[in-house]
Amino acid sequence: MTRSLAATTFATVVLLSSSFASAQAPSGKVSVVTSFAKDVTDPFKRAFEKAVPGVTLDVQNRNTNAAVKLIEETRSNNQIDLMWASAPDAFEVLKGKTLLMKYSPQATGIPDKVGSFPINDKDGFYFGFAASGYGIMWNERYARANKLPDPKEWQDLAKPVFFDHVAIAAPSRSGTTHLTVETILQGEGWDKGWRTLKEMSGNFRQVMDRSFGVPEGVNSGQVGVGIVIDFFAFSAQAANFPVKFVYPSVTTVVPANIGIVANAPNAAGAKAFVDFVLSPAGQEVLLEPTIRRLPVNADIYAKAPKDYPNPFKDPQFQKMISFDVDKSEARTAVVDTLFDQIVTFQLDGLKAATKSIHDAEAALAKKDNAKARALVTEARDLVAAMPVSETQASSEELRAAFTGGKQKGARQSELEQQWSSFARERYAQAKTKADEALKLAR
Amino acid sequence: MGGFALFHLPTIGQLRRSATPGQFALALAIFIFLILFLVIPVGTVIYVAFTERGTGSFTLVNFQDFFSNDLFMRSLWNSIWVSAMTVVWASVIALPLAYLTTRFEFRGAVLIQTLGFLPLVMPPFVGAVALQMLFGRNGTFNLLLDDTFGFKIPFMEGLSGVVFVQALHYFPFILVNLSTSLRNIDRSMEEAAQNLGCSGFRLFRRVVFPLAMPGFVAGASLVFVKVFDDLATPLLLNVKEMLAPQAYLRVTSIGIADPMGYVISVMLIVGSVLVVWLSAQALKGKDYATVQRGGGGLSKRKLKPLEGLMAYSVVVFLLALVLMPHFGLLLMSFATVWSFSPLPDAFTLSHYGRVFDDSWVYVKNTLIYASMAAGIDVVIGTAIAYLMLRTKLIGRHWLDWLATAALAIPGVVIGIGYLRTFYDISLPGGAPLASFWMIIVLALAIRRLPYALRACVAALQQVSVSLEEAAENMGATKARTVRRIVVPLMAGGILAGFVTSFSTAAVELSATLMLVQANADAPLAYGIYVFMQSAAGRGAGAALGVVAVVFVGLCAFITHLIVERSQRSKGFES
Amino acid sequence: MTQSLAVASREDAKLATADVTIHKVNVSYGSNHVLKDVDLQIRAGEFFAFLGPSGCGKTTLLRLIAGFNVATSGEVRIGGKDVSDLPPWKRDVGMVFQSYALWPHMTVAENVAFGLEERRMPRAEINTRVATALGMVGLSHLAARRPSQLSGGQQQRVAVARTIAIHPKVLLLDEPLSNLDAQMRVQVRRELRDLQQRLGITTIFVTHDQEEANTICDRIAVMKDGVVQQVGAPMDVYEHPVNLFVASFLGTANIIEGKVVQDGGRRVFEMGGALRLPVPEGAVLPPGARLVFRPQHASLAAPDSASPALKGVVKHREFLGATVRYEVEVGTSSVVVDAPFQTGASLYSAGDAVGLTLPLSSIHWLAD
Repeated sequence: MTRSLAATTFATVVLLSSSFASAQAPSGKVSVVTSFAKDVTDPFKRAFEKAVPGVTLDVQNRNTNAAVKLIEETRSNNQIDLMWASAPDAFEVLKGKTLLMKYSPQATGIPDKVGSFPINDKDGFYFGFAASGYGIMWNERYARANKLPDPKEWQDLAKPVFFDHVAIAAPSRSGTTHLTVETILQGEGWDKGWRTLKEMSGNFRQVMDRSFGVPEGVNSGQVGVGIVIDFFAFSAQAANFPVKFVYPSVTTVVPANIGIVANAPNAAGAKAFVDFVLSPAGQEVLLEPTIRRLPVNADIYAKAPKDYPNPFKDPQFQKMISFDVDKSEARTAVVDTLFDQIVTFQLDGLKAATKSIHDAEAALAKKDNAKARALVTEARDLVAAMPVSETQASSEELRAAFTGGKQKGARQSELEQQWSSFARERYAQAKTKADEALKLAR
Repeated sequence: MGGFALFHLPTIGQLRRSATPGQFALALAIFIFLILFLVIPVGTVIYVAFTERGTGSFTLVNFQDFFSNDLFMRSLWNSIWVSAMTVVWASVIALPLAYLTTRFEFRGAVLIQTLGFLPLVMPPFVGAVALQMLFGRNGTFNLLLDDTFGFKIPFMEGLSGVVFVQALHYFPFILVNLSTSLRNIDRSMEEAAQNLGCSGFRLFRRVVFPLAMPGFVAGASLVFVKVFDDLATPLLLNVKEMLAPQAYLRVTSIGIADPMGYVISVMLIVGSVLVVWLSAQALKGKDYATVQRGGGGLSKRKLKPLEGLMAYSVVVFLLALVLMPHFGLLLMSFATVWSFSPLPDAFTLSHYGRVFDDSWVYVKNTLIYASMAAGIDVVIGTAIAYLMLRTKLIGRHWLDWLATAALAIPGVVIGIGYLRTFYDISLPGGAPLASFWMIIVLALAIRRLPYALRACVAALQQVSVSLEEAAENMGATKARTVRRIVVPLMAGGILAGFVTSFSTAAVELSATLMLVQANADAPLAYGIYVFMQSAAGRGAGAALGVVAVVFVGLCAFITHLIVERSQRSKGFES
Repeated sequence: MTQSLAVASREDAKLATADVTIHKVNVSYGSNHVLKDVDLQIRAGEFFAFLGPSGCGKTTLLRLIAGFNVATSGEVRIGGKDVSDLPPWKRDVGMVFQSYALWPHMTVAENVAFGLEERRMPRAEINTRVATALGMVGLSHLAARRPSQLSGGQQQRVAVARTIAIHPKVLLLDEPLSNLDAQMRVQVRRELRDLQQRLGITTIFVTHDQEEANTICDRIAVMKDGVVQQVGAPMDVYEHPVNLFVASFLGTANIIEGKVVQDGGRRVFEMGGALRLPVPEGAVLPPGARLVFRPQHASLAAPDSASPALKGVVKHREFLGATVRYEVEVGTSSVVVDAPFQTGASLYSAGDAVGLTLPLSSIHWLAD
């Protein structure tokens, strides 16, 4: 591994020096703002500084939101060269505010899509450098103690046995979770998708406000099961935590991205780093055990250990319909806010209704009762009911409420109040009906 | 009526008579400092709360939205309830510790004061994880309980979980301020009560505690406001339905142009200032300056053997409880894997090896930032306390309210505000002012100023005015009197304020995270944050957390030693 | 008295001292009128007392001289110079606080040296002055102690030493004896008087205790409700009180209500119980006047005695050592009469009927 790394590094140096022969040679400090952990950035820093002598990579760690805010607030006197983070929507925001610089990387051998998701921004403002798939991570000791079966599919998480054992990050707080939610909504359709989401959500122990909160909870055994992005699980396994991970048969892989900040003080260095990250040498760094992300260069998988997931070949990544980026973009804020208002902040009501439904169904399984069954169906429909239709979600009017449009209209807080009371009332009604059904079934 | 009084502009003559030119200049300087480093930066961020969407014109409709939104109202009541209950429980912990260590000949009182203070020094993220590992649903205690008795205690669930953690975390505010007050009570007050047949707990309840009231109220109001405005603990327990987390979640979500986060920030500020104002009202007209005739400090008594046993049991129990998170942190820093088990699987030293190279620069930066920030805080805190309590300067309370408002402003708002305000100002050489590390110091100073201020106010309240008048009578000007009499007599309180500001600034993350512009300028908290983003970094983060705690604890311990020594040399103990 | 003289004479045993003039001073806090048109002349070298019950404004007046309070109107002159606009630290007025206000963080010597240091004196001179001041109050051996290690009386003396060390033009004492026990009080007040005599310093003493004021002061100003009632030597004020308040505040006074009626061209004071007393020719009676006399000025005799007397009944008798105090019911009033005690003299007992004789010269006719 190290030897092959050295070999490719050498190759890259040759490649880089030739490609920069005409351009200004990169040198000096390259400032990168990233949400990636030290475990990820350190190997890249070492490899890059070795590959391009005379350049130092200055890594500033920030969560994605803070990084976006920083670039936004400091645009007038920008000191940052690169933004390096997972969530594509963060890059969309930066791009929308013309805070990114257009570039055509030198790298070759990177396809257009990974799974159903386009790797690079179609306008050339940011570039996918690694793929990550969503899946289910669980703590073996926790599962053993609580007699949980191994989950395999998303639907498994909606089963009564997982009640109060599952955690997720709020889509409004985690770009990658947002993409997962959006994938489900696009894959299953708006109404069915929300139904699935809410059935799963009824089992949630917590909706976390940080992406890393979920794997940390699973690692420490405070929650049993987490819906997480794969590398969290892989790096936890690499650190010997007793956790397991599975890609459900339908999943999506999303790219983690890098982009050059507009007016970068060291544009040459920034370009060099982008090229390095996308080069085979850079791609190979992703295979390091503490990183464990999926390269976007399909050739690198030849050097990967056995059982390393390959989004270009493994069947579960191919099943998803193609992902409509524009549709997702148009309703981002509405989807996130909906999730917060009807799931995150109504979790108690939702869980109470879900528990009652589970109990009623358990009772019905022993002793059927038509009237009770009808009540349970009603209860499930009440839980699944949505205050906003798919068309409304993408409507200009709702978008304006969230993006601070110029015209007057409903304010975000008013909409939130409407949606949350909608959900709260229906969850309460659903619980009443399910409790009624339980009485009948006994 | 009160509203009119606030806006009634004083005449020049009234202003002139209200204070000396020097005091006036001092007040003006502090005012400008606060405007420059608090009001303007924060204003550039939260003015959104008062603007109408789309048009940008002034409106209060957003506040109407706040009051008609169930979630926000529920959050408001939750915040109030949690804050009040935390004050109660924090008092339950702090009272015995403060009383026993200041009133009795107690071995290791300094150690207790220092250890009891450590909970304030809870590094971000790792502290949270450590708490979960011990008290969480599947933490050490609950796993053992479940194994042995088949039940669990939800220490860390919901609002009562927040109260539990906050009480453990913030009781030192009460402890520190109360201890200072107790030390300043004239022994004759107590003796008079004993002489009149009052002793034991009644003595404490009827005489000692009422006399220590300024310190208690200072600590309690600080705890209330701090809990009211704290977002780290509720978020760590995943309680989002409180005001501060709501504000934080909204302010930090990407791409949402929503004024409500700032509306909530404004509500937090109003609430905090209100509490401070109320506590000032509660103490109004009560002259608690008791150190008059040179004799300070309660007499220290020897405990009878049985009493001693009981007292030590209480102290050990409380200390064990409040130091649990640090114990957890220590375990984590040595743990290979710790997951769903009462104790780690195995132990290793490798995490310390990993952080050893990095931590030196973090420790150095932290020492510089936190001590400078705390230094600024006690200077300004003492000055504001003096202007407030010793002059009739019109508008002096505005200084207090302004400084206190900083408590309620989410760190991230200050961070963004600083970037906005200071990024366009270039340093000689072209780099923006906001990237200069001194900006981090100023942000920390502003964030921690309320702590130092409350401590200074309590300390000055206990210095008898006649001691100052005597100095003036002897020919010392106001300024000289402050230097030679007021400051030395306030020294205990000032140092308490310094330690509080210093220690909390040393582990502050939210504002610094926005402002750290280079790894070489980063403090400890940032280093921990960086490690704690991955599973493999957990142990290393914990190791760095231990470094932070030990380092801050040592600083606090040394300061306490100095306080004790200076108190003793002043004859506060004999 | 000029400034240069004051400086030149600092080294003398007698301090350069100054007179104090308080001219038409008013102090009010909002609607609360604390001092009303106070006019006082305190002579240089005089031991002067502000005497009055608590709340009479005496401490306010003292603090006004020290510069801690500001007059709403009027002026304070020290040595002829208007000091109304001078801050406390420029007045050269030494004050001993009721609480002593010793700084707990300084030793006795440091406390005493403080004012001298503030005057930027050379260290050697400071040391001499501190030694002298402590010597004067007899505390040289305690120079290194902290105030908390001293007794109340010692603390009081340190406070005095601290004040006189700066050689103030005027010495102000704010109830300096109130924190001392009775024996100490007598001793310390003598010491204070001695010290004042030795230094020849104008001293103003605030007290509510007439005995303290009478024993050590040259003159007193009796105050009530922010108004100076009477100024004079203690004996004069005692002998010739100007109103009922002064009469009763200084010593014991019998006050009998009644009204003046005309009886055949003569004025007669008619008291409750149909008792009458002729008003001497030429006596000036203010409106609403009452009959006032000191207990020792009346004498008791057997009721059948020939001389004109008021008839009364003894209610109580107290033996006070040098005197015997009788409480006698006269008409509807109760009065106190002190008779000198002599061995073998016959005493009246409770229930005895007596005749009360008053020399007309010792009777005062006073109103509020």
